[in-house]
Amino acid sequence: MSLEKIRDPERMRRWPGHMETDYVYTVGLAGERFFREIKDNGKFYGTRCEKCGITYFPARTFCERCLSELKEWVEVSPRGYVEMYTIAYMDLEGNKLEKPEIWAFIRFEGVFGGLVHKLGEVKPEEVKIGMVVEPVLKPKEQREGSITDILYFKPAK
Amino acid sequence: MTRRVAIVGVGYSDFRPATPDVAFHEMMFEAAVKAYEDAGVNPRKDIDSFIACSEDYWEGFSIFDEFVPDQLGAVLKPVCTISADGMYGVINAYLQIRTGAFDIVAVEAHSKASDIVNMWHVMAFAFDPIINRPLKMHPYVIAGLEMMKFLKDSGNTEEHCAMVVAKNKKNAMKTPYASYGSIISPEDVLTSETLFHPLKKLDASEFVDGAVVIVLAAEEVARKLTDTPIWIKGVGWCTDTPWLEFRDWSRAVYAEMAAEMAYKMARIHEPAKQIDFAEIDDKFSYKELQHMEALRLCRKGEAGLLVEEGVTERDGDLPVNPSGGFLGVGNPLEAGGLVKILEAVLQLRGEAGKRQVPKAEVAVTQIWRGVPTTSGAVVVLGRE
Ligand SMILES: [Zn+2]
Repeated sequence: MSLEKIRDPERMRRWPGHMETDYVYTVGLAGERFFREIKDNGKFYGTRCEKCGITYFPARTFCERCLSELKEWVEVSPRGYVEMYTIAYMDLEGNKLEKPEIWAFIRFEGVFGGLVHKLGEVKPEEVKIGMVVEPVLKPKEQREGSITDILYFKPAK
Repeated sequence: MTRRVAIVGVGYSDFRPATPDVAFHEMMFEAAVKAYEDAGVNPRKDIDSFIACSEDYWEGFSIFDEFVPDQLGAVLKPVCTISADGMYGVINAYLQIRTGAFDIVAVEAHSKASDIVNMWHVMAFAFDPIINRPLKMHPYVIAGLEMMKFLKDSGNTEEHCAMVVAKNKKNAMKTPYASYGSIISPEDVLTSETLFHPLKKLDASEFVDGAVVIVLAAEEVARKLTDTPIWIKGVGWCTDTPWLEFRDWSRAVYAEMAAEMAYKMARIHEPAKQIDFAEIDDKFSYKELQHMEALRLCRKGEAGLLVEEGVTERDGDLPVNPSGGFLGVGNPLEAGGLVKILEAVLQLRGEAGKRQVPKAEVAVTQIWRGVPTTSGAVVVLGRE
């Protein structure tokens, strides 16, 4: 096909655009209580499906395996372990991070699920799979009921 | 007796890392007219239905669906958009023809990745807005985590991943539509900049622009149109839970399930023996290994060994990504699945030129929608 390709860069026109996408996302029934427990009491909660014999963490209102409604709330120990981690050297703009970030998938005993979060108070070369960690929360008065109320996880004492 | 369905035409636009000269419609137009020429069909008279595959956020439009008919010859015809990879479009076209309602269906997907100014932000918008997105993590954090987990559990190594990159980039040297071919050593990959440890710069595919159109037809029509129809032998698709918290990080379960569905339909019992070559998703080097194992092209934990032994080279016993894969061709966003099918069709027809694999009777193609998704599809293709 003989589409004439433009060779003079001065003739190539581009129009800058921006997608305006402001939302307020409804946290929902499970999220409401899950984040309130972190905010008010510094506690982690999951919800249990008796039928499947598993406790979902973070808490949710339905079981994705059997589609039962989940009403049984169970407290989950905030002490977890690093299942795997990565060290990020690039930010969302594609720029090199001044200080690398350590991200981990953290599992908690006795539950199905876990959390992806940052690790802190540890050097990249010191992180190990299986390392036991605990959350560092914002001071209570600064918490707003969101995942960022957890600042990071640090090696457990 | 259900109708068999064949691919009778393929067309693609010039694939390049940047296309500042052509708009997306023009790339689609170029791919479409080439595919219709290849199939020998008149789009305005012969094609019964059109399926475009796109995602609003890649395009920078709301309701992008409305912007696809004109450049495909689909104005005032049955047309729809699937918000998924192009392989889902081919599967839907196959099913539309199987219903008997349509005889000829065209499928389109494209990438204008170079138009996206803040790619990582767009991709990060796919995270759950409440549990994950407020943490402001780069979407490739997911790839770094998954790579570490997969390598640890499967026993494959970073060296094996590096061999995949070297193989695919070498294969791409002979692929006319590939943008990222080069001769590099696994050592070059291992020493490239670490981005998301253990993921290095060369472990990740780069983006590319391009459009692909595929034309499918019912058996009786296909036989009139071409001497080399490429049959759809099996299709499958599957999505794991979207939650990072509840998914399986070790295995590509979505690919295992999609493959089992497609293999069952295609009567493939021993994929490693019955399949001649594979075009599978390698947006990251480790994904090729993980997907080989998911598609049962080898035993669990042995994908790296096969690469090491040269089995997956173009002239090996089971070539994997003879096109060069996404590591060599580039990652064309939702057009990825169509690039896989395009390459399989050219190989099965015996039209792959310098990169022709020695034996090409049955091929498996597979796609994954990229981080942070757990969605994927599989299509098995073959000659008579
Ligand atoms: Zn259940």
